[in-house]
Amino acid sequence: MSLDRNETATVERLRPADARTCADILRRAGEARQTVRVRGGGTKEYLGDPRPTDLVLETTSLGGIVEHVPADLTVTVGAGTRFRELEDALARAGQMLALDPPHADAATIGGIVAANSSGFRRARYGGVRDLLIGTRCALVDGTVASAGGRVVKNVAGYDVNKLLIGSFGTLAVITECTFKVTPLPVATAGLRARFRRAADAYAAADLVARTPARPAALAIDGRARDAWELVVLAEGEPAAVDRAIAIAADAASARGRAERGDVTAALTALRELPASADGVLVRASLPPAAQTAFAEAAMRLEGFMRLVSDAASGIVRVEVRGDDDVLVAAADSLLADARVCGGSARVERRPDRLRARVEAWGDGDVPGLFLMRRLKDAFDPNGILEPGRSVVS
Amino acid sequence: MTATERTLRAGIRGRPLIDGLVRLLGPSKVIGEHPEDLLIYEYDGAVDTATPDAVVLPDDTADVAALARFCHEHGVPIVPRGAGTGLSGGAIPVEGGVVVSFARMSRILEMDVANRRAVVQPGLINLHLSTAAAPHNLHFVPDPSSQKACTLGGNVAENSGGPHTLAYGVTTNHVTGLEIVLSDGTIVRLGGKAEDGEGYDLIGAFVGSEGTLGLVTEITVKLTPLPEDKRTILAAFPTMDQASASVSAIIASGLVPAAIELMDQLATQAVEAAVGAGYPLDAGGILLCEVDGLRDGLDELASRIEAICRENGATTLRRAQTVLEREKLWAGRKGAFAAMGRLAPAYYVQDGVIPRTRLPDVLRTVSEVSKRHGLRIANVFHAGDGNLHPLVLFSDMRELERVHEAGLEILTACVEAGGSLTGEHGVGMEKNCYMPLQFRAEDLALMRRVKTAFDPADLANPGKIFPTPSRCREFQLHATR
Repeated sequence: MSLDRNETATVERLRPADARTCADILRRAGEARQTVRVRGGGTKEYLGDPRPTDLVLETTSLGGIVEHVPADLTVTVGAGTRFRELEDALARAGQMLALDPPHADAATIGGIVAANSSGFRRARYGGVRDLLIGTRCALVDGTVASAGGRVVKNVAGYDVNKLLIGSFGTLAVITECTFKVTPLPVATAGLRARFRRAADAYAAADLVARTPARPAALAIDGRARDAWELVVLAEGEPAAVDRAIAIAADAASARGRAERGDVTAALTALRELPASADGVLVRASLPPAAQTAFAEAAMRLEGFMRLVSDAASGIVRVEVRGDDDVLVAAADSLLADARVCGGSARVERRPDRLRARVEAWGDGDVPGLFLMRRLKDAFDPNGILEPGRSVVS
Repeated sequence: MTATERTLRAGIRGRPLIDGLVRLLGPSKVIGEHPEDLLIYEYDGAVDTATPDAVVLPDDTADVAALARFCHEHGVPIVPRGAGTGLSGGAIPVEGGVVVSFARMSRILEMDVANRRAVVQPGLINLHLSTAAAPHNLHFVPDPSSQKACTLGGNVAENSGGPHTLAYGVTTNHVTGLEIVLSDGTIVRLGGKAEDGEGYDLIGAFVGSEGTLGLVTEITVKLTPLPEDKRTILAAFPTMDQASASVSAIIASGLVPAAIELMDQLATQAVEAAVGAGYPLDAGGILLCEVDGLRDGLDELASRIEAICRENGATTLRRAQTVLEREKLWAGRKGAFAAMGRLAPAYYVQDGVIPRTRLPDVLRTVSEVSKRHGLRIANVFHAGDGNLHPLVLFSDMRELERVHEAGLEILTACVEAGGSLTGEHGVGMEKNCYMPLQFRAEDLALMRRVKTAFDPADLANPGKIFPTPSRCREFQLHATR
């Protein structure tokens, strides 16, 4: 992606070491009407329609684990901490933050929260909005404010955490996050099943989702009209894990060929589709039962490359390759299909040359947009934070 | 009950208000012609009271929107009310105005089994949803103790929990769509049956906003497959210290039960007298723990929990052998608040949350507060997530000041332990003055920005959540003393 002004030497790059300094930078930027891009690991710069900014605020010095009390199952961590670093530290205490976001090697906690990055394991453990219990953020008026807290249950005041999740840095700069953590599973097992038809893969996934098996991943990988795979991961206590895989095998065997085995590498590859995708990548969030129809339409598109679905949560990504006209047509079609299916979608990636022809949110008609704009005004009245990054700004 | 000191808002009241509402909605939807009819709407499940200027019973979203536009035009506060079971005065019109009862908007609009979603009206009773979903092997997870009476609209407003939210999440984790009416009458539809939307998560901000951001008129919730089986364990300990140490040990061992509840001896006595759940009366602390899911491995999990309890001094261990036995154990827990009537005519329940490792020392503080004020305090609470429910018992409204003082000391201890003022009952008008204990001015200003964006006229349930100068003056003096 080319953001010309940010690639020249004149763009100021700032790397505050604490929330207070971060807020001071934002206050000065606000006074000078300078626009600000917020950068963590720099892994998701393709998202949205970001415009060049005067400043780049890097969060990588806001790192480190602030507090981890294993027996409380909570951890507080600086926003610039790399996900891997946190994962390793928690693993040493026999715990995990049950997220498996894309770009897992380089992404920072702040970036994961700001982009609402989720992976397949939200099927069992929930996504960012289910695991984040507290945030600290720096605001453009120069204040540092906290939302939520460090306890797992808390209804004191508004849950401002939720607004920061998926806000792409357009409301405030997240400087610190507190999460619920989970004990590492005692047992893990996997299953892969191949199908000739998308409908069969989804039917098998649906059968599993309808039971109390609570799989840790229920992923579908479509590579061609007649090549569909269901990847199931079960985590937990050994007996329950065995049974969950047996349930999945039963559900799959009526329609396809199922095989037990390690699915770690397969899931990693599917999870990293946003990192590897070329051409156009659309991300849709759908009612679970609408996924089959959406997938059947997607696989008929000219240029269809791959579909990866978190079948339990209804998150579907479709990669399309081809010439410009093919990409534009596919993006339009997928955005429209998602809406017809009762969901929504955005274009997550597209070649730079197509930025003018392919809008990240299509017509940008998002329910409640006027309210979102009022919130944006209340947090960032001069619109200096991340212009173009979110459908709201 | 106590009539609360309040500052009434400008705007129309009395006869002009009632006449205007009747003209707008018709006489069958308006209560207030006879002022005595308003009395049953002056209280909820908490201790504060205030009489509304009128009560409106809308049939549909259009009624709610018309009412909101009318109130907005005339500067009249608008206060939503579900079943009135709330425990923080959320449904009390502390600044006057119209109370909106959702009693006539109580239908299940759609049971979407294929998507594991239900679309419901806000007046639907929580338990009715799970009952209707059960034939499809599904249920709605949040299960407040008041679930036989409380409504989904109330659950959304308060972000309600319940014993089984330890493993499966509270209301906010199960809502995917809302239709809301803003205080100016604008109808906004947010989300739907999909999990994520584009733009800001307004649903996440609205759930738990206690009616202060607008009124909810339709809710889309996730339905979760029913567990295949459950094991419910009762463990009795000589002391609460041992019982709470067991909770910490269970959590630390890596087990994630569906529910872990604790009850002290005073609570047990009341429950036994009222429900006859079979709890041992001589125990200092009783722990109720449930594991569920696939049946495979549940017995082993239950055995591990029992072993931890034994190591921590449990004298009685009982595993429910039949559905009836399990129901009885839970009936005791869920009927605990109602059973307090056996001990005293009134109680004031607190809802503070603490990090789980701090359970033993904060419970000791609660017991010191009880001794210092000469007030009996029963404890029955969601130990697994550190959500305390000390019930301060009293018999005379003249004791209320002392009761509030005891409550404040307990909440202060919770916040000082790194916790929160409230885990599931809400701030309402009961704890809004205490918010500065937990939040700095900058943090409250952050919330204020949200309020301003949704309800710039401050007509949606005013006087709640945020400290108000008139009612909180006394507390501020108290705090600075």
